[in-house]
Amino acid sequence: MKKILLVAVREFTATVFTRAFVLGLMLTPAIGAIGATLVPRMMARSVQVQGQIAVVDPTGAVGGELADALSSARITARRTDQTRQVLIQAPESVRQVAGNDGGRAARFALGSVPEFTIVQRPPDADLKLERAWLTDEQAGPRHLALIVIHANAVRAGADGYGEYDLFVPPNVDDRVEGEIYQGLREAIIGARIKAQALDRAAIDSLVRVARVKSVTVTKNDQRQTVAGFNMLLPGAFAVLLFIGVMTGGQALLTSTVEEKSSRVIEILLSAVSPMELLAGKLLGQMAVSLLALAFYVGLGMALLVSFAMFGLFNPWLLVYLLIFFLIAYFVIGAMMLTVGSVVNDMREAQSMMMPIMLLIMTPWLFWLPISREPNSTFSTIISFVPPVNTFTMLLRMASNTPPPWWQVWTSIAIGIASVVAVLWCAAKVFRIGLLMYGKPPDFATMIRWIRAA
Amino acid sequence: MSAAVLLSGVTKTFGATRAVDHLDLVVPRGAVYGFIGPNGAGKTTTIRMMMSIIFPDAGTLSVLGHASALDAKDRIGYLPEERGVYRKMRVGAFLTYLGRLKGISEGELPGRIRRGLERVGLGDCEGKRCEELSKGMQQKVQFLAAIMHEPDLLILDEPFSGLDPVSARTLRLLVHEEHQRGATILFSTHVMPHAEELCDHVVMMHRGKKVLDDPLSTIRRQYDPRAIRFEPLDRDADLSPLAALPEVERVSQADGGCEILLVNGTNPASAIPRLASAVPAGRIEIARPRLEDIFIRIVTGGSAAADTEVLRAQLHAGAEPKAVPV
Repeated sequence: MKKILLVAVREFTATVFTRAFVLGLMLTPAIGAIGATLVPRMMARSVQVQGQIAVVDPTGAVGGELADALSSARITARRTDQTRQVLIQAPESVRQVAGNDGGRAARFALGSVPEFTIVQRPPDADLKLERAWLTDEQAGPRHLALIVIHANAVRAGADGYGEYDLFVPPNVDDRVEGEIYQGLREAIIGARIKAQALDRAAIDSLVRVARVKSVTVTKNDQRQTVAGFNMLLPGAFAVLLFIGVMTGGQALLTSTVEEKSSRVIEILLSAVSPMELLAGKLLGQMAVSLLALAFYVGLGMALLVSFAMFGLFNPWLLVYLLIFFLIAYFVIGAMMLTVGSVVNDMREAQSMMMPIMLLIMTPWLFWLPISREPNSTFSTIISFVPPVNTFTMLLRMASNTPPPWWQVWTSIAIGIASVVAVLWCAAKVFRIGLLMYGKPPDFATMIRWIRAA
Repeated sequence: MSAAVLLSGVTKTFGATRAVDHLDLVVPRGAVYGFIGPNGAGKTTTIRMMMSIIFPDAGTLSVLGHASALDAKDRIGYLPEERGVYRKMRVGAFLTYLGRLKGISEGELPGRIRRGLERVGLGDCEGKRCEELSKGMQQKVQFLAAIMHEPDLLILDEPFSGLDPVSARTLRLLVHEEHQRGATILFSTHVMPHAEELCDHVVMMHRGKKVLDDPLSTIRRQYDPRAIRFEPLDRDADLSPLAALPEVERVSQADGGCEILLVNGTNPASAIPRLASAVPAGRIEIARPRLEDIFIRIVTGGSAAADTEVLRAQLHAGAEPKAVPV
């Protein structure tokens, strides 16, 4: 046991006390911080889109409305209103940062307000020529869109109301296209109301129902609902599990490959048995992973506290995170060790890692369906299939409708059994593979080793 | 007292290759055993089985009285053929790590490391990274790691491969010192002169089988006790009086003199004064047969010259890392 601990301590110190580890640890939150602050600022300072929109309007009623609906003032007002709707469900601290009027948040999120010039075309304009105008790249204002209003778009015909056709050149920003859609909708509705001699202001006030903050009621408490939290929380836990497992797993792979390629492995084997080496390496890198996990969990908790959202999740999830982390770490870590023991260098390791990485990534492919339908047959089945059961079950547990406890503990029991099985196989391959040089073994050979050893 | 190493009927097969074939071996405590043979003879596989790094398919073994070296690892020093260091680790830290794994207490380690490094001429290298050392210096560090816990049994697999003559000499002196301390030494080599210089007992392996297991002195006596190397005082002297002596069976020319083969049964001690009186001698000595020649003679049984040359080439080939076929 003493030798196992010595190997574990060396693994831990050799990994943790390096610039690469410290930088790697800081990288994820740094990217997050940059994403949260710098990107919106860059978007807000993005180059303002300016250009012409051609309108063929046989009704003669939509063009004017469209010029008004796509004016900078109206676009700003629409964006501010939409952002305010989103902010209603955000925590108070987020609203304070974003600004309660929504205007500042809209500028951050959506960038500069575009400046459109509406160019009216004759009702009988040649559409072939007009479409060619879109791709005419002569100097001058950009040609952003061609809109052809249907003749029955304002006054209903026998088949009801008509719509419009929208033509755009390649590479038009999706936000510009979105603004055009919204402006067109507003303009056509406005034209129809006028055609019916109705009062626009009265209709607007009739159809307007302000969105309010919902309140989440629990058995013991009630609290403000935070939009998106229930969807993001499972993902956050799965990311934590992934980071934890990959931090130690990747280090296990590289340290084993390094020990083998530098031929230090046999010197180690003169002092410790292969099993002591395997156990020591696994424990040492487990400590590394736990350190990384604790750092990120601590950071996440600090963020929740600072945004007054700490009470929104069940702290027991952290206990289950630890349990599922240990299961996932030992299964994936043992696989990584196995790969590291049978290859000669990292290049060979990368090709052998492909199937393991695919296994690890599987739950990410189904993150959305599992989060949305955590108790579907599909979600239930794959939460019992190792090694993806750990990721899947954690996604389900962090969702808004957690699975029954018996499923959780069955998944844990299956996970523990898989740890025993994988460690047993890994130990056998590890013992032989460590002293193997030359062509790495194929899967069939490794199975033969497991049977023979 | 039990033998330091005891092997009985040990066999190891990798796929279709029988690397070690029913090997019996007894290494007494305090001996210096040379384990010789060309690459692929089964030396490293045998040593790895002794170290319980791999396990035999058949047969039994005992190391320092234990059925497995795992139970006596702290009393064994091992320098493997394929050896290296943690490149980024400092020399002191590397030795500390291996010393702790070998059971040296934390308090004793700094002193032992310092003294050990000074002993191998690397007193100023404790704080250097291993990658900053030359290959020869790294080998000295590895050797130090194998002996600093003062093992009862020191197993060295091709310890001199890749070393320059000066470093090889330093290592030979250290091996000698370890033997003087009381350690049993077992080392493998395919370089026969090293075995001749260090060993008091030789085990020869060829294609997994033991072909010779005798004290060095016995081997020399047994394989050519009748050859005398003779250099006349006068380089131009007539050597025909030597061939005329009744004790002499044959005289053959050699560089700077001749090699004399005595008649079977002749005592060299009585023949040498008669040779010297027949032709004044500048130098006269019993010609010691080289292990390489003995090995080749045993393996080929005196067969075709082509086989002899192939074997000689194998013995002279470098000890390159090789795969373990499975």
